[in-house]
Amino acid sequence: MARAFQIKVSFNMQHINELPAVEPHLRGDLAIWIFILAELLAFGVFFVVYAFTRARHVELFNAAQLGLDRNAGALNTVLLITGSWCVAHAVAAARQDRQAIAVRWMAGGLCGGLAFLVVKIAEYQAKFAAGLSMDSDTFHMFYFSLTFFHFMHVVLGVGILIILLFKLRAGAYGSHDAHGLETGAAYWHMVDLAWIVLFPLVYVMH
Amino acid sequence: MKYSSQAVAKPYFIAALGLFVAQILFGLIMGLQYVIGDFLFPHIPFNVARMVHTNALIVWLLMGFMGSAYYLVPEEAETELHSPKLALALFWIFLVAAALTVIGYLAVPYATLAKITGNDLLPTMGREFLEQPTITKIGIVIVALGFLYNLSMTFLKGKKTAITTVLLLGLWGLAIFFLFSFYNPHNLVRDKFYWWWVVHLWVEGVWELILGAILAFVLIKVTGVDREVIEKWLYVIITLALVTGLVGTGHHYFWIGAPEFWQWWGSVFSALEPVPFFAMTLFAFNMVNRRRREHPNRAATLWALGTGVMAFLGAGVWGFMHTLAPVNYYTHGTQITAAHGHMAFYGAYVMVVITMISYAMPLMRGRAANSNKAQVVEMWSFWLMTVSMVFITLFLTAAGILQVWLQRMGDAPMGFMLAQDQISLFYWMREVAGVVFLIGLITYLVSFFVRGEDKAA
Amino acid sequence: MSSTFTTSAARNIFYGGAVFSFLLFLALTFKTEQELPNRDQRAQLENPQVAAGKRLWENNNCIGCHSLLGEGAYFAPELGNVYKRRGPDFIKAWMQAQPTGAPGRRQMPQFNLSEKELDDLVAFLKYASEINTAKWPPNIEG
Repeated sequence: MARAFQIKVSFNMQHINELPAVEPHLRGDLAIWIFILAELLAFGVFFVVYAFTRARHVELFNAAQLGLDRNAGALNTVLLITGSWCVAHAVAAARQDRQAIAVRWMAGGLCGGLAFLVVKIAEYQAKFAAGLSMDSDTFHMFYFSLTFFHFMHVVLGVGILIILLFKLRAGAYGSHDAHGLETGAAYWHMVDLAWIVLFPLVYVMH
Repeated sequence: MKYSSQAVAKPYFIAALGLFVAQILFGLIMGLQYVIGDFLFPHIPFNVARMVHTNALIVWLLMGFMGSAYYLVPEEAETELHSPKLALALFWIFLVAAALTVIGYLAVPYATLAKITGNDLLPTMGREFLEQPTITKIGIVIVALGFLYNLSMTFLKGKKTAITTVLLLGLWGLAIFFLFSFYNPHNLVRDKFYWWWVVHLWVEGVWELILGAILAFVLIKVTGVDREVIEKWLYVIITLALVTGLVGTGHHYFWIGAPEFWQWWGSVFSALEPVPFFAMTLFAFNMVNRRRREHPNRAATLWALGTGVMAFLGAGVWGFMHTLAPVNYYTHGTQITAAHGHMAFYGAYVMVVITMISYAMPLMRGRAANSNKAQVVEMWSFWLMTVSMVFITLFLTAAGILQVWLQRMGDAPMGFMLAQDQISLFYWMREVAGVVFLIGLITYLVSFFVRGEDKAA
Repeated sequence: MSSTFTTSAARNIFYGGAVFSFLLFLALTFKTEQELPNRDQRAQLENPQVAAGKRLWENNNCIGCHSLLGEGAYFAPELGNVYKRRGPDFIKAWMQAQPTGAPGRRQMPQFNLSEKELDDLVAFLKYASEINTAKWPPNIEG
């Protein structure tokens, strides 16, 4: 019986997201999904307000947008997506009881998050040095507000990843229970998703 | 009543209701002064009636919270209160201090009260809701610390539940944020900025934790629904409350000299502040629908459900109506504000304290619930107070809309006093509704004395 | 779709969310303090009359009937812009003339302020009227 199970598992290793599950199952605690919805609502409202305001100040927004560091933004997008990819791998590995590999993938995800923060801080430094800040004009108010709001979420996400990393190393998660891991990972993916909307909206679209 | 020390809640509840009566009497005085401008002048000028009305409200709600905490913490923690004697001593200190303060407000001019209480040593008087002399404020801190000490010791020695954890977080938060009432800088903008760290972070912050915990406790008792279910939802609700309410403080920073980014942050976050109240209403109705027992105290169940609905309407809906900066630009500091304030305070805090009193008082008097006759009278009082409050709010909303139209809009705006004359009809109607509210309150008090066959414990 | 919904997850989200939100609020407060000197007319606070005027405002509980920058009571007019609406002489004369005694009209007490105290109060109200309140109130009536 155990061998059959093992064979089944090794077959599934090729399909990271496939589970020997019986019914459709929302990964992670329902509580985090409530909050993901609330967060997306908050970000969503901010994005809508941004869009409406931009429509009323198109010239100002287009001109000011040119001053944004799109390369930093693009790099950050790559870092976050890669980070999410690593976290997804970590979850899959943990659910297959491959602790050591899961730890490495999680560390990778964490590095992506930390690198995002470093790039963002450098981007902000450049802006402050140029004398720009939240009260410079309406565009910069939105730019700083939206990116700072997101930044704080990345900080929280990094904190959550650190906790998950330590718990992974302690063997807290496995095929028997990956509930907490999936809960934390879901939050991280939400933070990534928010950036994927934010970046084109604020940095690119004109 | 499972633990004899829970009985210390009784004097708190009785004093709370007494102060509630005082609050409404002075409210009626003010309502009449709105239309008969010199009523009781110069003996009780409007500002004096107002500070008695608002301070009585705050003190009776605090006493209600304290009574509620003394009742529910021992039961939740499954141990007697750490020191019933301390609780009773603090009760008398608080009551006497409150009474002396009110006498001070009424007996001497405010400037004299400031002088004789040594306000100059540490000036904290003269701000809205914080009119108390500095020495009274210090007294409040001492009473609060004693109260928190007593409860925290009880909490630590017994079983820790989500309800007591949330309640204590809320109560400690209440005490900590009250400390900002001692910070009164010369800079008017900073004065106002940090004043809201008491007021907003109380009523749209830590008080919501207290509200949630009390409501959760009563719902567990009257519905018999699984504790696990109720506690999970309590955490969700209070998370929504803080996540929206903390940055939502910004909706008070639109026009007081703070940077203009607050118009965006404050609008976005405060627009979401109704969400936890909506969740609370769904939660209350859902729990009652899923109930596993028919608790004999139907009145308490009615109050619990009513709290959810009225808090959502008053705090959530009415709050939302004037929270967005472009709207608030016109309505800031008008009768719209008063309309929202009345229904919000009544729906959220007055009603949750009454819910707890309604649940706990019969038990402290030796029965599970009052007789049918008494409960019917109590339910009458619920409808009288709640419906009259809705009308008070509607009339003030109408007054406010007209005031905004006359005074804040158009090319030839009307002056304040002239505009007030124009809306006086609504003030008269509000006063009539206010009298009905008082009748409702008296009915509520009468219900405590109605005989009949009480339900066995 | 089913999922477990655990109390511990809800509790952890509460702690995380609350701390996060508080930190965010603190960050915005820090930014506010940085920006305030450009808006709050603090240079006027070097004039001791302004602080003295604020103390008089508080000790006589003016906010108990009036509003200031829209906050306070709604029984009497907004005074954040009264300096612009009426000017210093009117304000002093008005205060000295109270109560009007007009039957049925809302009454203001006589506060028996000295000439110096009246000047202090006027200095405070002038200061208040010059704070950058993002163009509030919408018009001179307050």
